[in-house]
Amino acid sequence: MQEGRILSAKRINNDLLRGVFENPLRYWLIIGFLAIFVLGAMGAAGYMINRGLGVTGLNRPVYWGFFITNFVFWIGISHAGVMLSAILRLSKAEWRRPATRAAEVLTIFSLLTAVMMPLIHAGRPWRVIYWVFPYDFSRGIWPDVRSALVWDPSAINTYLTSSILFVFVALIPDIAVIRDRTTGIRRKIYGVLSLGWRGSTRQWKFQAIAGILLSALILPVFVSVHSIVSWDFAMAISVKSWHSTIFAPYFVIGAVLSGVSGVVTVMIFMRWIFGWEEYIRKEHIESLAKLLVVIALGWFYFFAMELIFGIYGQEGDELATKHMQMFEPPWVWFFITFIVCSFCIPVPMWLFSGVRRSMFWMVVTTILVNIGMWLERFIIIVPALARKQVFSGTWYTYAPSAVEITIVAGTFAMVLLLFLLFAKLFPLIPIFDIKEGQVLRDEIQVGRRKVPAVIRED
Amino acid sequence: MLREAIKLSVHGEEIDPKAVASEISKGFFDLGLVYKSTLWILLIIFLIGVVAFTLKALDGGIQPNERYNWGYFSAISAFVLMGAGSAPLVATALRLTKNHWRRPFSRIAELYSLVGILVVFLYIPLLIMLPPIEGRKTIWFTDQFPGVPVWWDFLGILFLVINGIALLVISGIPDLAQAVYQSNGKKSTFLKPMVRWWKGSQHQWNIHRLSLISLGATYFLLLILMQSLINVDFVMSLIPGWKDAIMPAHIALTGIQTGIALVVLTAFLTKTFGNQETKKYFPMESFWSISKIMLALSLLWAYFWFAAFMTLWYGRMPVEQTILKTFMFEAYRWPFLLNVFFSFLLPFLLLIWNPVRKSILGPTFVAVSVLFGAFFMTVRLYVPAFGLKDVVGHELMFVPEAIGPDLLDAAIIFGVLSGVILIYMLAAKIFPMISIWEFKEGLLYQRVRPFMRGNFLVVGRPE
Repeated sequence: MQEGRILSAKRINNDLLRGVFENPLRYWLIIGFLAIFVLGAMGAAGYMINRGLGVTGLNRPVYWGFFITNFVFWIGISHAGVMLSAILRLSKAEWRRPATRAAEVLTIFSLLTAVMMPLIHAGRPWRVIYWVFPYDFSRGIWPDVRSALVWDPSAINTYLTSSILFVFVALIPDIAVIRDRTTGIRRKIYGVLSLGWRGSTRQWKFQAIAGILLSALILPVFVSVHSIVSWDFAMAISVKSWHSTIFAPYFVIGAVLSGVSGVVTVMIFMRWIFGWEEYIRKEHIESLAKLLVVIALGWFYFFAMELIFGIYGQEGDELATKHMQMFEPPWVWFFITFIVCSFCIPVPMWLFSGVRRSMFWMVVTTILVNIGMWLERFIIIVPALARKQVFSGTWYTYAPSAVEITIVAGTFAMVLLLFLLFAKLFPLIPIFDIKEGQVLRDEIQVGRRKVPAVIRED
Repeated sequence: MLREAIKLSVHGEEIDPKAVASEISKGFFDLGLVYKSTLWILLIIFLIGVVAFTLKALDGGIQPNERYNWGYFSAISAFVLMGAGSAPLVATALRLTKNHWRRPFSRIAELYSLVGILVVFLYIPLLIMLPPIEGRKTIWFTDQFPGVPVWWDFLGILFLVINGIALLVISGIPDLAQAVYQSNGKKSTFLKPMVRWWKGSQHQWNIHRLSLISLGATYFLLLILMQSLINVDFVMSLIPGWKDAIMPAHIALTGIQTGIALVVLTAFLTKTFGNQETKKYFPMESFWSISKIMLALSLLWAYFWFAAFMTLWYGRMPVEQTILKTFMFEAYRWPFLLNVFFSFLLPFLLLIWNPVRKSILGPTFVAVSVLFGAFFMTVRLYVPAFGLKDVVGHELMFVPEAIGPDLLDAAIIFGVLSGVILIYMLAAKIFPMISIWEFKEGLLYQRVRPFMRGNFLVVGRPE
């Protein structure tokens, strides 16, 4: 049996454009709630810029703390968009349809948030320009292009640009639908954005080709971004436990795990806020949960390899760092929470069909994964820096200040806020994709049962 | 029950569901003259390999301090473990993901499980030659643990092979029953007691399905674990100072790439030289679909290599520079360049083009390239690892001289490869090379139907 019903084109338009044309009270209440956090974070950031980095818990040698952890975390979340959209689109997985737009949009907003973190971390954000551009020709001081820290902005900007293009290309037919339902200035704006879309065969062909090409082209960018982020750490041979060859794929698969979990969380919330039970069905969440099992197992393999080869060298410094991360308080509590939240609880639960099809348990487990993955980054970054080095004169441990906590909390609110504001302007589920799925669905009689089927276009 | 002929693709040939079993099992019990001659030739080359192995053993002996003599033997053994060990994974992984296009490849992949018997015998001398772990860095950390690493590695390989054979037997029983009941003669009578219990009841099919899923999942986990373990024990821990966390994953990935290549090449040979009736069971669409995975794997191969290279090269640590010079830039430069060319460059440059992917010859050509690449990879890793005499030093202080193969090594390499093909060809006479039950199941889920202005393939999703 097919789980979804056949829906008319009109019904699909009305349902999926509900977010754009209707103004439910709970939507604005959520917006208001999130805005308070964002304003709080902006205030904290302003205070920090005014007073200096002394108001944070950063010190020597722990010069990377909450902000950089959060930067790596949001870069990770941003990997969901490409993972779901590009790979599932290329592999023609039918269940991708309601998930792609949310995943792509999450990519853009989490990337924007991630980019903000090093700016805030710099203390004086305007000085970041010196990392990227030569600032003093007369003195011949140039940014060190051999540093992974300088590769980061290029990789992230490329990813951001291509992600925006990716979302925009997929949005064009839907923008045209909104254009045809609006009047006045809104119609004009949507008219410009829809690039004269009329839905001709030629336009559809170009739109489909552009989507496939961008899917293929964005994949290397997606892999390179988190690899370069991982090299921020792996290239620093002086910090023990960072210089590992596995860091790049380990970071990428961790990012995919956290990103896909983030998409599941967001999709279930979308289903609740906009009442999209007909579109985000249990079968979609179940398929994503199965995918999560595979990704989580892959991630665990890389985690185990990273851990084993940290010990393999039998080097005193590295062993001490691993010991600190895994056995010494307070880090041990973070470590246990990280491994329990990101693997031990969710993966065994996802093996049961009842959990995979339960919206409640999927929200709980995917949020747990992201708590775990945030802590994973924290455990990688902070204890390694906090450990006493041979030639370090001073060393302290690290405790985040209220300013850092407020700013980091604000970033979570900001991503959700931007996401909901996007939903006010554009549909969060691709209308044309859902309609295409309706046209291509079929059934095959096997014995006494009707098996859901799809028409393959090639 | 299906009554009409089914098309597996819009432009493909029609398949009569009632004729599937008879067409596939036709000639299953016959050993034609060409088949017999090939078997004899392979047996002779294999025996020459055995003689070469014996001569080498008599010359220096099979012991840890004579290891440097056996570099190429270790390389070809690792190559067989990588390819034949990973091939059954192609069947199980694609079965778990419910791909319909997998069906022509399933049995071809599973039959490689029987090659595992040869792998066990190949690894016995290699395990004997492993030096004690005392004083060197290993993944076992302590020699206090009984049987490390030799017995654990051996048991791991043994369990992997047993698991693979169990997978093949369970998957093959319904087909064997079908073939036996449709044939007469001595062999058919001999095999009858083996399959008499199979009645094809609902209960038996349910157990069959669950067994395949659980054995497939276990095989996958065991394979990744074993590839990681074996390659650390036989390569990394024999090179002082080499610490490369991605290397086990990289070799496991190369193994999967090699396994797919073996399956594609075997499918091509079966289609080309097999029975006339079975040609239509290998549609181009299956080659097209698997070629996309081959493209992805070649990219992943390059990514894993680059991730390791970049970290080691950028670090500028003397010990890591020596490692890079040994495996990539000086001593084993040519095997490395050939490895990169055959495992990544050639597959990538060919498979990015849809007309190449959408063909039978294209993916087959790439499969051959991948097999060469994997062989050169084992050469550049295993030969220097086995060639190094001092394994307990703190770090590799110098770039070792490259060791070339001698005549005996060449005879062993060809002997082992002939042994693999020989076992495979014999295995193909125990179980049909196309999975009859899986094909019949596939026919239930596929139709070519009119849609809009053309005919399209409608694919059912089994629940």
